[in-house]
Amino acid sequence: MELRKLSINQVAEAVCHGEITARRLIEETLKNCSVLNEGLNIFACISGIDALEQADAVDRKVANGTSLPLAGVPVAVKDDICYGVLPTGLGSAAFKEFPSPYTATALERLMNAGAIIIGKTNLDDMSLGSTTASSPDGPTANPWDVERTAGSAGAAAVVTGICMLAIDSDSGGALRQGASHCGVIGLRPTMGRISRYGLTTYSSSFGQVGITAISGENIIHALEIVSGFDKRDASTAICKERLGGKSDFTKVKGIKIGYPAAIFDYLDSSQRDILDQAREEFATKGFEIVELELALLPEALQAYYVIALAEASSNHSRFDGIRFGTAEDAGDLEELYRKTRSRTFGREARRRSIFGTLLLSKGNYDFYYRQALKIWKLVRQEFANTLAKCDLLMLPAVKTLPRLVTEETDFLQAWEDDLFCAPVSLSGLPSICLPAGQAGKLPVGLQLVGRPFSEELLALVGDQVIREIKLFPHGIS
Amino acid sequence: MTYEVVIGLEVHVELLTESKLFCSCPNRFVPEPNVNTCPVCLGFPGALPQMNMHAVQKALTASLALNCDIALHSYFDRKNYFYPDMPKGYQISQYFEPIGRKGFLTVEDDQGRPKIVRIGRVHMEEDAGKLVHAPGGNTSMVDYNRAGVPLIEIVTEPDLRSPGESRRYLEQLKRILQYARVSDCKMEEGSLRCDANISLRPAGREAFGSKTELKNMNSFKAVEKSLEHEIKRQGIILHRGDEVISQTLRWEESKQETIVMRGKLEAHDYRCFTDPELAPIELTSGEIEEARAALPEMAEARAARFKDDYGLPGYDAEVLTGSRCLADYFEACLAYYNNPKAVSNWVMGELTAQLNIADLEVDQCSFQPEDMSDLLKMIDENLISGKIAKDVLEKSFKSGKPPRKIVEEEGLLQISEQSELEGIIEKVIGDNPDSIEKYRSGKTKVIGFLVGQVMKETKGKANPQLVNELLVKKINS
Repeated sequence: MELRKLSINQVAEAVCHGEITARRLIEETLKNCSVLNEGLNIFACISGIDALEQADAVDRKVANGTSLPLAGVPVAVKDDICYGVLPTGLGSAAFKEFPSPYTATALERLMNAGAIIIGKTNLDDMSLGSTTASSPDGPTANPWDVERTAGSAGAAAVVTGICMLAIDSDSGGALRQGASHCGVIGLRPTMGRISRYGLTTYSSSFGQVGITAISGENIIHALEIVSGFDKRDASTAICKERLGGKSDFTKVKGIKIGYPAAIFDYLDSSQRDILDQAREEFATKGFEIVELELALLPEALQAYYVIALAEASSNHSRFDGIRFGTAEDAGDLEELYRKTRSRTFGREARRRSIFGTLLLSKGNYDFYYRQALKIWKLVRQEFANTLAKCDLLMLPAVKTLPRLVTEETDFLQAWEDDLFCAPVSLSGLPSICLPAGQAGKLPVGLQLVGRPFSEELLALVGDQVIREIKLFPHGIS
Repeated sequence: MTYEVVIGLEVHVELLTESKLFCSCPNRFVPEPNVNTCPVCLGFPGALPQMNMHAVQKALTASLALNCDIALHSYFDRKNYFYPDMPKGYQISQYFEPIGRKGFLTVEDDQGRPKIVRIGRVHMEEDAGKLVHAPGGNTSMVDYNRAGVPLIEIVTEPDLRSPGESRRYLEQLKRILQYARVSDCKMEEGSLRCDANISLRPAGREAFGSKTELKNMNSFKAVEKSLEHEIKRQGIILHRGDEVISQTLRWEESKQETIVMRGKLEAHDYRCFTDPELAPIELTSGEIEEARAALPEMAEARAARFKDDYGLPGYDAEVLTGSRCLADYFEACLAYYNNPKAVSNWVMGELTAQLNIADLEVDQCSFQPEDMSDLLKMIDENLISGKIAKDVLEKSFKSGKPPRKIVEEEGLLQISEQSELEGIIEKVIGDNPDSIEKYRSGKTKVIGFLVGQVMKETKGKANPQLVNELLVKKINS
């Protein structure tokens, strides 16, 4: 029985029926993890002791007859999401030992359902980026080509079979691009569907908690548990207005897929061919392909960066060394700020704080920030109009194949990589990244965008069209 | 040249709510530092603000009581700056769109004529923490108990023309906000804080002179004093032909003078932008009308009612309604003892005298309405004289003991038994033959002296009316 080929539902049932204990499952997971992590640098922090304690607690509950929908399911959590037991590193050298005083809502809900948190996954400098290249711990290697970055360490944890689920953050596309680079499925949900309480985001407008797994079925199973109203995150109030927060769609038949042909011209031919094939496959499977236009992506990308940088400069102001993090010795306040913040932030975080500060300053605010807000509105409108003509929208997920670990990328070029993901973040709509094919040994994903609260449809369509997921050999068996 | 004084006031008041503006921590003063705190009001990464709708309600009530136009759609912005008492590195405040605009208040000008003072805006914001400087050392500590306490800021137009007018504006504002149960407005405790902008201009000129901002006034009297001081200071500068430097000054109560706090008023760029973590406040005109209808009775209306319903003289009605708690106290007494004029006399007289000595507000003293009523009942029942009652009130006020208990314990019951008094009366008649002679010869006024002698013998406990009666009878027999 190869466990990781089972659905998380099947694993939970096996644990609940006593076919395997959560402890045994987690022991295997940890063994695997120790073999794989060293070479790939997936985890910023692993606690075997804590994971086994969680497993024992699940086994006790199961023995008492409690049925847990995620019993024993191993989960990887990105290190910008607070988990009260392990340090929350935030992608900062100054937060290696930071004990968050609380646990994120999404994680609380997973654990109450019997899932087991294995560790915290690696991330970019203050979570700013879609590659892990700027991580203070160094990049996470792509399991398919260790010379290249994984994009998201959570996706690497899933494709290697260490964990069955990864809880990731996604602002401009880190989760989706990671799913594309590693060849797994990543969901960025509708704004407000999953509580963000405990996500230490730099961008309040676009930062989201999402889920990475190897099947749409697994994603939906986890989504049901983590999503829904949370009084600690006002944006989740929208879940109360929707019937139990669930999608209305259940059938694939008659679904129209919007195809903005011009967008695919941004890709090089090898990627383009893969996505063309995927589109043909949609047609073969009976989906109706509707050609349409989506004109605002380049402007949307710029607007995304203006707003996200401005927010980063403000959200990161709290890191002053007074309440949390490692404070540096200083003679006066000015020096305390300077030293502490220099240690807290890497180059990318400093760059974004400085740009953000400039963008909001007198004289710049109207020209940049106010304009970006206007573009944001137009982008939302364009996506809404487009999705009035189709049920799902097909887009690329990445502009390039994963970058080389050693590559010195110009920061503007790196920001350009978010061309297909960041605009979707502006729309507030749910999107899923699916494996579409392979360029050489590297996976290439595609993105499907749906209407608000259409996650179930996205996952269902995903499961219908993806070819068998290729798992990295060495998983739990 | 004569100069005209131009003053504008910025008043912050703490709202009377159970919890803070964006979290459920108690909004209550406690001496122990950092106990009323949580991840939200400490600005921990990942914690999100939750709107306290009770605070919005209070701000709405205040805006209505100050005759403002109410914004159907208002929102919160971030004012970005670093200071250790500011947990997030920004203050959440209504910068662009306040809840109330264009209000006004009527005060008396220096000639005693009614004058309209325009209120430009009423906006909500969160309070900061407090810095505590360790004595002697070079250590500073921060107490975040106050961080996130809901405030409203009330900003006048530059309509005030003298320190006295400014003080009367503050008194009137305080009365209204207390009546509306928006705030307890205790300047000494910091629940009302006032900054003043002041400039001088040649009489008749329309353009404003350059202004200074005064801070750190801890009482209404200090506001008046500091303004008087600043008028003199600016007057001297202008008479010299120099220009007033636009700067922030700090009032030093101990020296009764101002010192420069920081230069140039426009030096700060707060880089304000709308807080992406808070939904706008949407009010319907129905809700606003409901709040308007629910406005509590204000001072003027209450004074009129006191005159009509209780038959009080205009003076009494005005004094008693001068503060909400005094009027409440008065009416609470009537519930136990229905003689409005007697209660009014005692509240305005003896009780107010004691309050002034102790420097307390009536809601802070232990002499309760029940005590007042009982004291007055004892006078009516001839148990004690009015003179004794004054002493009892003072003792009860200071000790907190119920008046009846004091009367019993100290044997202060009035002597109303004829048999007990007869011996003393005979003694007084025997000791004062001259006075008796005078009385008999028609100078009946001398009876007052004789009554006084009896009172002296009985240490004030004799019933003076009875003594009078018995004396007349005895002398005439």
